Amino acid sequence: MREVAILGQGLHPWGKFEAQSVTELCRHAVEAALGDAGVKWRQIEAVAAASSRFSGGKGWGLNGNDIVEDMGSTGIPVYNMSAGCAAGANAFNVGHMLVASGQHDIVLVMGGEKMPKGFIQTSGLEDPTDPEYLRQRCVGLPGPGFWAMLCRQRMAQHGTTEEDLAAIAVKAHKLGAMNEYARFRKEFTMDDVLNSSMVNYPLRLYEICPVSDGAAAVVLCSKEIAEKAASKPVWVASSAVATADFNDGLPRHLACTIGPENAHHSEAKIAVRKAMQAAGVEHGDIDLIELQDNTVYYELAFPEEWGFIEPGTAEQWVAKGDTMPTGKLPINPSGGFQSFGEATTAQALWQIVEVASQLRGEAGGRQVPNAKIGLAQSLGLGGNATATVLRV
Amino acid sequence: MSEASSRETVESAEGLFAETPNGPRLCGSRCATCQTPYFPRSSGCHNPDCDASKMEDLYLGPKGRVWSLSVQTYPPPPPVVTVDPFEPFAAAMVDLEEGLRVLGRIVADDPGQLNVGDEVELVIAPLGHDPEGREVVSWQFKPV
Ligand SMILES: [Zn+2]
Repeated sequence: MREVAILGQGLHPWGKFEAQSVTELCRHAVEAALGDAGVKWRQIEAVAAASSRFSGGKGWGLNGNDIVEDMGSTGIPVYNMSAGCAAGANAFNVGHMLVASGQHDIVLVMGGEKMPKGFIQTSGLEDPTDPEYLRQRCVGLPGPGFWAMLCRQRMAQHGTTEEDLAAIAVKAHKLGAMNEYARFRKEFTMDDVLNSSMVNYPLRLYEICPVSDGAAAVVLCSKEIAEKAASKPVWVASSAVATADFNDGLPRHLACTIGPENAHHSEAKIAVRKAMQAAGVEHGDIDLIELQDNTVYYELAFPEEWGFIEPGTAEQWVAKGDTMPTGKLPINPSGGFQSFGEATTAQALWQIVEVASQLRGEAGGRQVPNAKIGLAQSLGLGGNATATVLRV
Repeated sequence: MSEASSRETVESAEGLFAETPNGPRLCGSRCATCQTPYFPRSSGCHNPDCDASKMEDLYLGPKGRVWSLSVQTYPPPPPVVTVDPFEPFAAAMVDLEEGLRVLGRIVADDPGQLNVGDEVELVIAPLGHDPEGREVVSWQFKPV
């Protein structure tokens, strides 16, 4: 396997863009990435794209083909990857393999999304054989209710308080306010968060992420090309994809086996473990994490589940500022999903771009001092997860 | 909604629950080889370490314990069935004695009255009415 570098990267800011198509958002990100990489469209040898269910892609998720047509058809191979909110990093994984294997020297990875209004309905089907339909028809549990259940379990187990949760939202928006690509660039006080409307107890409006539009792109290249480039490359230390374990104790549909205690989000845990092993890094080596915070709860649960923080103590880390960019374990210095909202299939690639910006030392007021190694993690519908370790 | 339609009752889904001589039960299955329980019934065993999928029907319940829960305070979109006008309801993940963690709505005067760890039991009770005006019944859990 050859070493692979991120030669360039680009984002379209996150927000709501009624007048623009998803392809226009993607083109903005792709042109920014090409410009950053200093390569022309003609030099792109293959495209790995996140495949969207919500927008573009000819209704079949062929978003990679849309962007190739838009930029100018050159006959190159296109891979459209479907993995829910993990799709952006699935595409990154494929792009990485295409270069690492020696098949191609310069590959574009992209993901973009225009989201429908409201919370994500995971299935629009009225089909009694569809498990998601049955879950809504027989019980009725929209996404925030599911997150609330996870959070209440933690409250019962570890004594997490409403103030603990609000403190994470305050931290997220403090950072998001400094991020030019964020949708919500406003700081919140504890009172602002605690006075925001209760969605599903204990989660309030400012503690869950809404849906957004956005696009991200990355140009990957071989070591040979990276070393000739004008700027210092960011290296892909590892890229891992995983799915859930049979013993996972979270019912994805109507029921699951109970399994061992806290054996949750197994796909994320497996992906992070695989990525760290492949990169040859220990917990203490990682200077920052961008993790998938659809709700503030995950910022407590994930670092514990992955072995970074002793179970039941993440609240104290947040309270002491240890998860801020200058803390012991910076988490989501971007401002996270809380500040961006979720543009599903663009999301995981955006996280990778955020980590790369930190390693390039370009994160401004959010900069993690002397960041050398970063981890990006995503979690997608269907038990999909990814983890990516970057280094300089 | 007409008088006639309001008296019509449908199940939230066919074949998922039943009123048995011993009381309400969920219609699940279990693999005779590895003993893994399933709900709804599964045509094959999903245990990757199981060498021979051998499914048998199994009634599940009625006793369980709340693993976690949440209260739905705003009307969710269809196909969720609610009462009209909307009233908040609680939904829970309940650990059954058979080793399954099952989702179900909570039947209680106050949707906020239950907590993690509380004992509950299965009931078959109305969720509300569907867009056609029919009363929809489903398995639910009530405090013991
Ligand atoms: Zn079996």
